[in-house]
Amino acid sequence: MRPESRARRLWLVLAAALLGGCAATPVAPWERGRLARWDMGWDPDPLQAAMDRHSHFSKEGTSGEIGAAGGGCGCN
Amino acid sequence: MGCPCALHLEADSVAHAEHALAAVRAEVARLEAKYSHYREDSLLARLADAAGTPVAVDAETANLLDFAATLHAQSDGRFDITAGRLTRLWDAQNGRLPTAEEIARALATTGWHRLEWRRPRLRLAPGMRLDLGGIVKEYAADRAAELCRAAGVVAGVVDLGGDLALIGPHRDGTPWRVGIKAPRAPERAAARIELPRGGLATSGDYERTLIVAGRRYSHIVDPRTGRPVAGFASVSVVADSCLIAGAAATLAMLLGVAEGGAYLRELGLPHLCIDDRGRMSGDLVFAA
Amino acid sequence: MSASKRPSPSLSLLLAASAALVGNRSARADEAAPPLQSVGYRFHVYDEDAFPDRPVIGSPQRYHVDSQQLALSARAGERETLTLNAVHEVMSGSSPWYLVPGPDRRPIQVLSGATIRDHRNAIDVALTHDAGGNDTTTLDVSYSQERDYHAAAIGAQRSVPLSSALTLGFGGSLSHDRLRPTDAILYGRIERAEKNTWSTFGSLSLVLSKYAVVESGLQLTLQSGYLSDPYKLVTVADQQIADTRPDRRGEAAWLVRYRLAATARASLHADARLAANSWGQHSVTLELGWYQELADGWRLIPGVRYYAQDRARFYAPFFDHADGRYFSSDYRLGAFGALSASLDLRKRFGHWELSAGAERYHAATRYALGGADLADPATVSYSRLFAGLDYHFD
Repeated sequence: MRPESRARRLWLVLAAALLGGCAATPVAPWERGRLARWDMGWDPDPLQAAMDRHSHFSKEGTSGEIGAAGGGCGCN
Repeated sequence: MGCPCALHLEADSVAHAEHALAAVRAEVARLEAKYSHYREDSLLARLADAAGTPVAVDAETANLLDFAATLHAQSDGRFDITAGRLTRLWDAQNGRLPTAEEIARALATTGWHRLEWRRPRLRLAPGMRLDLGGIVKEYAADRAAELCRAAGVVAGVVDLGGDLALIGPHRDGTPWRVGIKAPRAPERAAARIELPRGGLATSGDYERTLIVAGRRYSHIVDPRTGRPVAGFASVSVVADSCLIAGAAATLAMLLGVAEGGAYLRELGLPHLCIDDRGRMSGDLVFAA
Repeated sequence: MSASKRPSPSLSLLLAASAALVGNRSARADEAAPPLQSVGYRFHVYDEDAFPDRPVIGSPQRYHVDSQQLALSARAGERETLTLNAVHEVMSGSSPWYLVPGPDRRPIQVLSGATIRDHRNAIDVALTHDAGGNDTTTLDVSYSQERDYHAAAIGAQRSVPLSSALTLGFGGSLSHDRLRPTDAILYGRIERAEKNTWSTFGSLSLVLSKYAVVESGLQLTLQSGYLSDPYKLVTVADQQIADTRPDRRGEAAWLVRYRLAATARASLHADARLAANSWGQHSVTLELGWYQELADGWRLIPGVRYYAQDRARFYAPFFDHADGRYFSSDYRLGAFGALSASLDLRKRFGHWELSAGAERYHAATRYALGGADLADPATVSYSRLFAGLDYHFD
């Protein structure tokens, strides 16, 4: 399978997950204990995440993240 | 406040204590006059009279409304201060059960969605009446404790009908031993715990209870069905303030045994729940 | 992490909503929260694999970077948090210069003879205002400085709950970068140059169930100014000329992030990204992580990442003819893909948390998006080791 078609299939799966979520029953605040866990954060360890992104950003031709982008660097 | 109230103080002098007592009396009387569910000259009665037109409310009332809005959201709509007409129907002072028609009429004027609240402007739907039960007595206890501290009395307990706000621990630093009311015998303590500060509040079906033909009807009414909730006989919660303890206890009563228990565990506040058969649950069971 | 000591989400809401009425002083007036919340230190060793073949000129040793990070988080007001992140890096090694066609047209790497030794200092300060109920605003200022490169950036982002399940995020940033390449006159490089980067994003996150949340976001970036690499040359019609790229680049990235509380002690992280830019590059990124809590404060976090990109319109290892305006043989603009695996181990004891981990990043032309006809020998794999110590005050 060519990577493009593999990618297309993945996005279909993700889109289905999103649409399925809209129909989900509302989750009450007191049922959100698990969602509030440290390991359920988008970036549980922001320090580590910043360094990971920096290594990948300096090697790769494209980048992008959810959040305000940081400043430039001579590495790229 | 329509309930037995007590003030336990440890002060440097009788003069200090009397000063604090006078401040507490004045504050409780002020809040009673302003937010009483029964008095026809209260702010709540005047707001009900003005229903349909927007009224600018004072900062204290606005803060209470904002707090009520949070509780409404957190209880999935079950904590609703707009249910004043409904809670009146089920009040012990009526002495009889409301008819289905009365309930339907009260439900038509109930619902947070029917109220317009944009600080500081409040507009009640025509016929609507607010009931701040579950928060205003608890708020008064916290205010009284705060006034005592401001008056220089730092050790004591404010007790407004079993809802407690700690002024501070005993002067030697030891906590107060306080009782949690038993739902079927409020004069007796179901449990005793040690509390240095914060608040303890109990919500139960023993207050303002309507008893008809031997059946108890709680004054805590589900605004979606218009009928009293069945579930816990009482819920007691310990929190940083009596206000939070009272709000958590009332929400747990409204949510019922399964959801209410889950809510209290998620909040992470110490609590004791007693069901209608006297069975206890919660992390304060050890104190019983 | 001392998350268990913080109020639960619903209690936080109650506390915030009651603060105007009773304050929160009755609670913990005598045990006031410390202004400093956490301090963290990390050490990273980044090491690129050496060139497999002995290069024509220079050492086969590539980049090696030792990085140190220091982070502070402090309360700066009733609802404000200030975070500070400082980085000091020491870089050494040689970097690819240009490619020449070999006997069978296989590209041969030429390295600049000089071994670079440089360091970078960067600081990032962010102020977050938490209005309660997931409504936060963050302002961010950062500065990064190397001998030949300075970058100053500002950014702002906001997160607003739209309903109990849906949260909107948006923000933007602006970076102004100045280059002053070393030995510019000696090598005929540009003496000084500037570039600006504008970036904006919008996102929606949705609570799917008691166990799962998903977020989808779009980021748009526009760069203008000098976007070429002043240290790279490119072979065009058997001559070496300076790396020459357009002075504008637009980029769009679509991201989806999913978090699943798979068990009471473990969670799954799945991130995906599709990106495309106006230079003709596309990329796919998939990332999976598993956060497993073990007994006695231990935590194990294995992760895998897949990345694949195709080449920029004006990229080739070398050009036979000088037709066109732009030429680059920077491997980052070529087609390649990379698989990486990481493992992170953490141990919490009281207020302290010790972490250590490793990442192996394996890049190859054969993983490229859409394949590639010629393998760029500069495509690089690396290994990274890291260790850190954090202290949480509450």
